This record gives sequence, structure tokens and C-alpha cells, in this order.
Amino acid sequence: MLCKLIRAEQMKLKRSPVWLAFVILPIIPAVMGTLNYRFNIEILQSEWYSLWTQHSLFTAYFFLPVMIGIYCSYLMRMESNHHNWNRVLTAPVPRAMVYVAKLFCAVMMILLSEIWIGLLFLLSGKLVGMTAAPPLRELVIWCAFGTLGGAVMAGIQLLISLYIRSFALPVGLALAGGISGLLFLAKDLGHIWPYSLMAYGMNSNSPQELLATGYAQFVITCLVYLALIVLAGSLVIQRREL
Amino acid sequence: MRRLLRCEYQKSRGRWIFLTALALTVMAAVFALRGDYEGENHLFFMENGYLMYLYQLPMVNAIFFPLLGMVVASRLCDLEHKGDNLKLLCTLAEKGRIFDAKLLYGLSITLFCVCLYWAVCLITGALLGFIGPVPWKLELMYLLFTLTPTAVIYVFQHSLSLLVKNQAVALCAGALGEFAGLFLMFLPQLQWLRRCLIWGAYGALQFVGLFGWDKDTRWANAGFELLGYDWLAFALLCLMGLGLYLLGRNLFIRKEL
Repeated sequence: MLCKLIRAEQMKLKRSPVWLAFVILPIIPAVMGTLNYRFNIEILQSEWYSLWTQHSLFTAYFFLPVMIGIYCSYLMRMESNHHNWNRVLTAPVPRAMVYVAKLFCAVMMILLSEIWIGLLFLLSGKLVGMTAAPPLRELVIWCAFGTLGGAVMAGIQLLISLYIRSFALPVGLALAGGISGLLFLAKDLGHIWPYSLMAYGMNSNSPQELLATGYAQFVITCLVYLALIVLAGSLVIQRREL
Repeated sequence: MRRLLRCEYQKSRGRWIFLTALALTVMAAVFALRGDYEGENHLFFMENGYLMYLYQLPMVNAIFFPLLGMVVASRLCDLEHKGDNLKLLCTLAEKGRIFDAKLLYGLSITLFCVCLYWAVCLITGALLGFIGPVPWKLELMYLLFTLTPTAVIYVFQHSLSLLVKNQAVALCAGALGEFAGLFLMFLPQLQWLRRCLIWGAYGALQFVGLFGWDKDTRWANAGFELLGYDWLAFALLCLMGLGLYLLGRNLFIRKEL
């Protein structure tokens, strides 16, 4: 059932230009972050780790939250337009699964962006002539944890877009969330605030160090949040009036 | 025009557009003004407070004001797309005038918020106890150099939101531009790119620089200096704004509804 719903979501997204933004967005930090790294090479001496900070810092704090906000708004907007909720909610499928399918699509897009960010990072490193071997293990962890943290953010954004029918307002809230995440990270509370989890997982601030709270705690926090969000989303969508 | 503006006001009532813009402005102000002004550098911050703001605020502006423009323009234009209102609206008034009225209405909300933010920053400076008189000439130049890029970005967002029904397109384009603009803040070496990109104008028009700061000595040898105004960047920005307005207006007039 879930697979069929995911397939239906993918069909709805076909020929939609939104995915393009996720492809273009990481190119900007890749080019400009690399240029910045080149211009400040005497200060940024940790090679790959310094480059990762340049690539991922603003992406994780400001722009991936905004892009996730746009994508989630779009996923919900398709149903708000032309009374599509009526069709979706009267279809012979559990309503909760509709929310899960949408979340799955958003998470897939975040995962693809993270992989793309990782590839661009490796390519940029090679282009600037890094001598050390790339930190592949860490890169996989940063991208995987970034996706996990992003999934929590996507779940919340989907909930917000489910409530607020406007397209732009949830995007503004996503930015507010991203900024609140930055503030929580500054107060060493990044591991518990849902909007900090992506930046915390990507370890943009101090990539040389392992996560302060450990990997297991990060994964458990994300999974607990995801379970709560899916539960809340399912309840909201089940009680939704046609 | 006054009647069209009144229509815009009536249509946007109850949609919390102004409140949303205000919330984003408050968020920008909190983000810009929070900080620890006490400690060993207290005197330095108090003596250089206004210049420090003129140095720091353009980066915050590059994050928040393009987003403010995106949200306001999208909300105002989306209400026409949602109900297929443009078909009806364009039989009642000239298309160009509708474009202008919507632009003027959204622009006034956005620019009012920018002015409010500027005033809040000045008042905060005074309340914090910044030493010396307010450098009004510099502050007014800063206001001009903040209002102009915000207005040009708003024209771009307004045109795109009105021309393309799918608001994701306008928001994605705006977010990408904003991202590029923010990165350009850190790349003064690419001044030509800052001048050519409307989102880069916040950086191109920044006229206060920080010198002598480093990781070890921090503020001990630091100081702010005036860099001079980049009038070429300002002229280019105005030209781009005019070009975007004419292009957007013409495309909207020719658009099949």
C-alpha cells in the first residue's frame, strides 16, 4: 500500500521543476565555498575539513531548511489545489499512509541533495588540489546524519503545510526554524532541537570532531522525533474534514 | 490607481500578509541585534557601535530581506492565481495598472518593514548606550543602500510570482539568488559579480570594513573604516531594477490568461 502511495506521489511530482532547485542549490556553496577556501587558504588550514565547513555551513543553517520548506509546501499544495484533498482522503487507503508517503518523498529528495553535496565536495577538493585523502567515512556519516536530521525537519514542515494552506508562509517558518536551530546550536542544545538536527548531523561547525553527544544518541533522538511527528501527522490527517 | 490599491488592501485583509512581514522583520532584528556587548570589549563596542552595525547589518539584510520580498510577493500574487482572479481582474482594469498596483502595494509593505528595522536598530544602539552622536549621513546612506536592493529584488519576485502560477518556481529562484548573495558577502574579491547580481548588492554597497581582527587577538587591534560608496554598483542596480520592472510588466501584459 505504502509503495503504491509513494509511486502515486512520484507520478504527481513528475515534470515538476522543484527538484531542479535541489540540484542547483548545492552548486552555489560548492563554487563559492571553494573560492572562499582558496582566497583564505592561509587561515583555513584543516584542508578537507575546512572545505566541508565552507560547503555546508550556510546550506545547513539557512538554505536546506528553506528548500525543504518549499518542497513540503509543494507536496501539500498539490492536494490543496482543485479540491484534491477530497479525492485523496476518499481513496481506499489508510489516511496516515498518505502523510508517510509524502514524508518519504521529501526524505528521498533530502538524501539525493546530501549525496550531491558530498559529490560536489569531493570534486571541489580534487579541483583545489588537496593532497590528503578525502575523509570518506566522515563524509558518509555527515550526509547520512544530515538526511536523518533533515527528515525530522521535513516531517514538521509537512505538518505546518498541512495546517497552513499558504505556500509562502511555511517557507518563512522554515527559515525561522533554521535560524532557531542556529541559536540552539550556539547554546549547545543542537542535539535536542528538531531544527538544529540537520546542521548538527552534518557537523558543519567542527567537522574534525565527532558528535559531542555520540552517534547513538543522535540517531535515537531523530527516530523518537520522527515517530512523534508521523503520529501527529497521521492524527491530523485522519481528523481532517473534507 | 488609488482605487486599485484599495482593492489590493481589501483582498489582502485577513491574510496576515503584513503580520507575516512584520514577524520576519522582528526575526531579522533579533538575529541582528542579539549579542554580548559586555565583557572586556565593552568600551570598544560602545565607541564603535554605530559603525559596527553598519558593518554587520548588510549580512543580516542579505539573509532576511530577499526572503521578506519572496514571501510578500508570493502571498499577494498567489491569491490571484488561486481563484483564477486574473481573468476577471483583467477585464475590469488595464493589465499594466494591475501589475503596478500590486507591485506598489507589496513594495510599500516590504519597504516599510525595512525602515522599521532600521529605526529599531538605531533605537537599540541608543538604548545600549553607544557613545557619540548618531552618524546620520552614514545611516541614511545605509538606509538607501538597503532599500534599493530590497526594492529591486521585490520587483523580480513580484514579476516571477505573477507570471508563473507555480509559486515554487519564484520561491526557489529567490532562495537560490539569496544563497548566492549571502556567499558573495564573503567574497569581496568578486566585486564585479556582486554588482551584476541583484542579491549581491547588499555586499557591493557595504561601505564599512573591519580591519585588524584576528582569531588570536580578536578585537584588541580591530577597527572599522569607511570604504567609500560604490556608485557604479548602485547605478547598475537601479538599471537592473528598471529593466526587471519593464520586462516583468511587458511579459505580464502579453501573457495569455
